[in-house]
Amino acid sequence: MKIIFFLICACLLNVSCRQQQTAYNGNNCKLIPPFVSRIGFNAKNAYFSTSEKRTMGLVLLEAVDPQHLQAGVVKQFQDSSWKKAGWLAPIQLDNRGNIFTGPAPFINVLNNPAADQNTVYKVDGQTGTMAPFVQLPRPAGNTDQNPYGIIGMAFLCETGSLYVSSIAGSNRTMENGCIYLLNPASGKTEDKLTGMDVLGMGIAYAEGENRLYFGKARTPDVFSVALGKNGSFTGKPRLEFSLSGMGPRGDDKVRRIRSNKEGELEVYGMEFNFNLIAPTEKQESVYRFIYNEQDKKWYSAN
Amino acid sequence: MPMKGYLYLFFCCLVCCAACNSNTQTTATPVAGYDKDVLQSVITTTDTNRTYPFVEAQQAKNNAALQQPLPVLLCQDSLNQQQQLAQLIALSDTVFTRSVRHIGTGEPYRCEVFGVYPARQTDMAYVQTTYNLADCYRIELYNYALNTTTTAIADIKQQKVLAAGMQPQAQPDIPLYLKNLALKIAVSSPEVQQALGVQPEASAALMASTKTSLNRTRCERSGHLCVAPTFVKDGKALWAIVDLTDYRLAGVRWTNTGTTGPTQGITEKKLQDDKITACFCDQQVSINKDGWKMDYMLTSSDGLRIAGVSFNGKPVLQSAKLVDWHVSYSGTDGFGYSDAIGCPYFSQAAVIAYEPPKIAILKEDNAVAGFVLEQTFKSELWPAPCNYNYVQRYEFYKDGRFRVSAASLGRGCGNDGVYRPVFRIAFAAPQNNFAEWNGREWTAWEKEKWQQQQPATVYTTEGYEYKLTDNTGGGFYMEPGNGRFKDRGRGDNAWVYATTAKTGTDEGEADLVTIGPCCNIDYRQGPEKYIEPAPDELLNKKIVVWYVAQLKNDNTKGNEYCWAESVLENGLYVTRSYPCFCGPMFVPVK
Repeated sequence: MKIIFFLICACLLNVSCRQQQTAYNGNNCKLIPPFVSRIGFNAKNAYFSTSEKRTMGLVLLEAVDPQHLQAGVVKQFQDSSWKKAGWLAPIQLDNRGNIFTGPAPFINVLNNPAADQNTVYKVDGQTGTMAPFVQLPRPAGNTDQNPYGIIGMAFLCETGSLYVSSIAGSNRTMENGCIYLLNPASGKTEDKLTGMDVLGMGIAYAEGENRLYFGKARTPDVFSVALGKNGSFTGKPRLEFSLSGMGPRGDDKVRRIRSNKEGELEVYGMEFNFNLIAPTEKQESVYRFIYNEQDKKWYSAN
Repeated sequence: MPMKGYLYLFFCCLVCCAACNSNTQTTATPVAGYDKDVLQSVITTTDTNRTYPFVEAQQAKNNAALQQPLPVLLCQDSLNQQQQLAQLIALSDTVFTRSVRHIGTGEPYRCEVFGVYPARQTDMAYVQTTYNLADCYRIELYNYALNTTTTAIADIKQQKVLAAGMQPQAQPDIPLYLKNLALKIAVSSPEVQQALGVQPEASAALMASTKTSLNRTRCERSGHLCVAPTFVKDGKALWAIVDLTDYRLAGVRWTNTGTTGPTQGITEKKLQDDKITACFCDQQVSINKDGWKMDYMLTSSDGLRIAGVSFNGKPVLQSAKLVDWHVSYSGTDGFGYSDAIGCPYFSQAAVIAYEPPKIAILKEDNAVAGFVLEQTFKSELWPAPCNYNYVQRYEFYKDGRFRVSAASLGRGCGNDGVYRPVFRIAFAAPQNNFAEWNGREWTAWEKEKWQQQQPATVYTTEGYEYKLTDNTGGGFYMEPGNGRFKDRGRGDNAWVYATTAKTGTDEGEADLVTIGPCCNIDYRQGPEKYIEPAPDELLNKKIVVWYVAQLKNDNTKGNEYCWAESVLENGLYVTRSYPCFCGPMFVPVK
């Protein structure tokens, strides 16, 4: 299943990932890759996608109207290296215009062999060439029950930290997932949270600190963990809220999280059951949550 | 009749393996530590539908409403004069009643006013005109076919609708009479009575001895209106999911209540997925019937796998399964999918099982000839375009014949599709020989090989194309699908591959990942990778037969094949499907 529809136009359009009440532009450092303009694309209208129908890999598109993507595209481009990792899922820009992505099988595993599903790929912002960046450790065991590896990404500008979630090696009885904190320059793992299958992630500023918000892959629950000054995980993850019973499906898992201009969390939910079901129509719901300073809890605004 | 193209077939009296151990012919060993409540839950499939006089009475009311110029069942709860007036005003408003009939055909949808309530200030957000709140009522209309709710705000003083709007995939609070109907369906259902340990005639005692409440639930897959009468007994809660669109019990499951009631609601999807996973993905089930013994279980990506198959004590098959469905569309070069079928959770399946396997009596010439083991895999939105429904069917005859078959029930992404299911059939005998009929005699295949069934293919007078004999002198003739199996199959045009099962090398006995691409139109469907580039000796070897049928779909009226469509009947959408069955029959060599 193409589980992630990671359009990053929001980031290209300078949409913040930090709450308004603190420092709205604080996590807005992501740079449009320099090669985009060089190959003749209007950077303001350009976006990357890994979910174009019948197109495997990463694609660069120029929208007719970036505010209304359904209006169509002017042109599109795919470097030959962008499809070498098979079907891809998350897309994450850093502050130098590099693009990080990860593979995820779509309908079947023909182009996404299990052994390659825990590799972070990097598209060089200058050259536009994609190459393997980091091979994350893959827990032992067969992959019959779970064809996935890397599944979510987030970037914290303040510290230049890349967060990558992987569910490789998890099965019905064992939750082997992990969130890695990677140095986007060296690829070195600087911290990790283990024993959790995490799908979508996002960063927001709350209670005077940056926090990584993330949705579990097995339940509709959303947790958060505080991030230290160097981006590392501090303290234990805590349950923030759940999507259980909400929306048309009632058990959505989190695809991604972002904070909007009003300081609300926008949580993108979708069906996910560790299989390769691929709905023909993208079935996704957006849930808004408002932070209540009084009791320090998030409440649904839907 | 829905699914009639499918159900005309030669079996009847479906026996649903609703509980892991429900069938006296089957046994199972639960996985240590598995939730007993999940194992004992029951999914009631549509095949086991039953009806009751009170349901028939309700259906008669619905049918009568469908005949009216305005096909809406009026609110069945008692209303005062003001509420009745508000209901009439709303039903006179063309915006409010815009979706009570199909826009194109004018056929009626089953619609019902669920409630008429005094309006609250929050209901008036979109009202532009002046009003007196005390004169306003909110009228809620539910459309069962579209699963939508239309709401109107009617002002009885001004005698007009002030605002109206529709919410898709939304269900209003149900009226009291429907709550009572749901309870009656629940307490009348043998599954509920069995779970509670109360005899059918003791339904009154049942209600007295248990605390009953009506929980909200969802029927996500059917898109039906469902509620869950919940019976609390001995510190546990029995959720009975009742489908109020079809007036049937969808299933039951116990949950722990703790001190604050059930912590997580049970829905149709959760009931189904948990049950299928626990009972058929995490454990294998055994059958001993009509001389046949075998184990079966659902795989991650190879469908329903049977293993250890023997007949009258003699081993026949090591295993059989369906590895892939390759679906290609001629309209677009290289467009299609390689679909794996399998378990709903933690699997590599693109199309999943969410109903239990069925064991059915197999009839031939109106006599019981054996039994069928069958499993359905469905996309949730089937038969909407680009959604799929596949059936695997194993037939076992009392005389030792068996058939490994499957069908597509559409609908796919177009009417130019070709389905190519890839079967893997591994024989049990350690030494076999595989031969083809050349019109005069049987010619052994000396090396691993493939061959395509074609119009010029010659068969024996019985219809056999191949013969597989083992070292004991026994064996089977193989009759490919050729339009002779009385299942409306039109012939398989199949590629048959014979490979050896090599010691120490797994060539597909374990769960196989996607074996081949969607859209090859020649023999390169996947099994050839075990033959090329250097075929192994085949004589006196343990043999695996791979069988890839080719089924061209058709949506021509009256000639549908591998196809399905939704039609509006009695105010609801029902599915008509036109399966294309394929697969070989194996007949014992006498």
